[in-house]
Amino acid sequence: MTADGYMGRFLVADLTRTEAWSVPLPAWLREGFVGGKGFGARLLCDLVPSGADPLGPENVIMFMTGPLTATAAPSMRACVVTKSPLTGIYLDSFFGGRFGPEIKYAGYDGLIVTGRAAHPTILAIQDDQVLFHPAGSIWGTDALTANARVKAELDAPEARVVTIGQAGENQVGFALISCEYNRQAGRGGAGAVMGAKNLKAIAVTGRRLVRVHDPVAFDAACRRAAADIAASDACSALTDSGTSNAVPWSNTVGTLPFRNHFDQVDAKADRLGDEGQKKHLFLGKAACHGCPIRCSQMGAVRTGRYAHMITDIVEYESAALMGSNLDIHDVRAVAHLVKLCDRYGLDSMSTGVVIAFAFEAVEKKVLSSPAGVTLAFGSVDGAEYLIRAIARQEDELGRLLGQGVKRAAVQLGKGSEAYALHVKGLEVPGWAPRGTPGMGLAYMTADRGACHQRGFMVAYEVGGEKFQGRPVDTYSLAQKAEILKDRQDYLAGLDALVKCDFGAFGVTSAHYAEMFNAATGRDVAPSFFNEVGERIWNQVRLFNLDEGLDARDDRLPRRFVDEPLPSGPHKGRRISDEDMDVLLTDYYCLRGWDSDGRPRAAKLAALGLQPSQRFEVGAPPRPLSPPTRDR
Amino acid sequence: MTRKIFIRTHFDLCTGCELCQLACSQRLLGGYNPHRALLRIAHARENLYHFPTVCSQCTNPYCATVCPVDAIERNAVTGAMVVDHDKCVACGLCHRYCPVQMIWIDPDLKKSVKCDLCGGDPCCVKACPTGALELATTGDDHDG
Repeated sequence: MTADGYMGRFLVADLTRTEAWSVPLPAWLREGFVGGKGFGARLLCDLVPSGADPLGPENVIMFMTGPLTATAAPSMRACVVTKSPLTGIYLDSFFGGRFGPEIKYAGYDGLIVTGRAAHPTILAIQDDQVLFHPAGSIWGTDALTANARVKAELDAPEARVVTIGQAGENQVGFALISCEYNRQAGRGGAGAVMGAKNLKAIAVTGRRLVRVHDPVAFDAACRRAAADIAASDACSALTDSGTSNAVPWSNTVGTLPFRNHFDQVDAKADRLGDEGQKKHLFLGKAACHGCPIRCSQMGAVRTGRYAHMITDIVEYESAALMGSNLDIHDVRAVAHLVKLCDRYGLDSMSTGVVIAFAFEAVEKKVLSSPAGVTLAFGSVDGAEYLIRAIARQEDELGRLLGQGVKRAAVQLGKGSEAYALHVKGLEVPGWAPRGTPGMGLAYMTADRGACHQRGFMVAYEVGGEKFQGRPVDTYSLAQKAEILKDRQDYLAGLDALVKCDFGAFGVTSAHYAEMFNAATGRDVAPSFFNEVGERIWNQVRLFNLDEGLDARDDRLPRRFVDEPLPSGPHKGRRISDEDMDVLLTDYYCLRGWDSDGRPRAAKLAALGLQPSQRFEVGAPPRPLSPPTRDR
Repeated sequence: MTRKIFIRTHFDLCTGCELCQLACSQRLLGGYNPHRALLRIAHARENLYHFPTVCSQCTNPYCATVCPVDAIERNAVTGAMVVDHDKCVACGLCHRYCPVQMIWIDPDLKKSVKCDLCGGDPCCVKACPTGALELATTGDDHDG
């Protein structure tokens, strides 16, 4: 067995043939792409043919770990990588909880699932044993019920399980994967890919050990990283109240979406933040595997119409997009709506944006409410109606909105594209960008579509974060591309480990490097993560270009471009076409991309991205275990 | 009665992070896997509750009583029940009669394994970020 943080192989499960086999982790992949997002980015390019239907059998869905996943390195995660049915391009979605580590305990650096099962299936993995188990009546259940049912069905209470809900089964464009326990690979419709593959759940149990190269040095490095976290104000705030305290902060700095991004301030925001949630919801804290931060504030709704429902924290994104953006301020009601999304298996971020779009479309008389239903800002019942309609896909309204705002607006027409808030088809997160042009550029250029996690420019533009020791001007366009590129590369590099965003608020690059070196036996400098990240970023760009994306897709939704903000600290601000041109020209230039946003040959060569190597899953040399057929 | 060290658990502070189990498995086996650690965490009610279970170092230890080769003895300093791997024949009787499943045969070591309190300075307690595991002392200190 290796002692370098890796397990040395992937598990390939072909649902069409109901066969599973392992493939060695190639040295070139490990060296050049490190893990997690890096593995996923490269393998998606190598395994999915150009133009493949994301919901067809030729798409793959991968669950990837990194060299630090499943170790005592604080605050690590894993990721899902696939071609998105929502955007038609690269998708990764990161999840905490306890499923990611279990992949390694079962002996694999990642799971690669291909094909399409003939019948609803549970993929059950216990070390070398792989079973294609019929899902039976578990198909049709919600994501959390399915988790319990899968464990009971397999008689595996210790199994770590991922499931989809009804939304995934019905292939809703923004269906999520619910990861042990109730942590979500939320964005971009990975749940729909599982649904299209007839894959209800994956259950993993592993008894193997994850070994590191130098346990003494690794332990010391982990302690230094944990000390970074303990000393970080940002991490302490997350320990105290998770991301809920970002609600009042975002409102103060004018980045909180209100009524489908009509405005970026909300007078009632505090009701949705830590103040409201501490009063109405929180009971105790829960942590993901190996995390000292424990940002998850578990609790229950104890009073009112939605009483006696267990709920996790209403995260900032959910509070913003399912709360203020819908003009709903009873945090118990928002918790109820988010829990519905969790159960049906819908991304609460995209769902919130879709509902806001529908409410505005009704307001503008482009869409009409069904009889007896009020679809209007402030209506909890209206939001609930739409969540159910989208998840069930039983009527025209549900099918229209289940495609996401980009396609819904195209179908609906009548100017609705102007308030369909997405980039590349992915709905815009809860950090409204008018007034923070760098954040706008981050949305324009994020690899999976509008994403706030690939370079959180808000921190620099209104949060007082310095870049290379100097304060950053809020409204200036200068330097924004430079800061963003640095952040995108660095974070993509850490996403190969696989870090959690919140751990990275505290842990320094030097200490990530120390943990990585002690775990793997390599000897890299802190700058390594930017180098790897740039390679990954360009690899993903190649995939997206191959899928037909071009510079015209690196643009913001028209609301941010055409409509000056009506009020708040950034009153009058927008990000004009000219602003976008300046930002993007700068950005492409820094990236070594041409004016069409294509990496130049010299850049690809410098990054070692020539297609000389190619990962193949091959055919099953021999099944890992005796009969892996349906039981 | 001798002084006894033990680990007191506080389920109200446990977050289920498994850092204790990672430290334990690394010390015992030289690698990470919470399932192989000598303490357990049960997650209940949609992840709202986390219940850590550790060896009680029982006053009436069934594991030692049923051991056919007297491989499990109390350490005079810590009070922990400790398995002597030179004596253990891996029969599994200890596992069969432990009421809280805190002793079993490890598949790699092929010997009975249980918490020995790390000789008095348990690594799980040191790894716990919240104080959910606490090192405590019982017994008659007045005798000393």
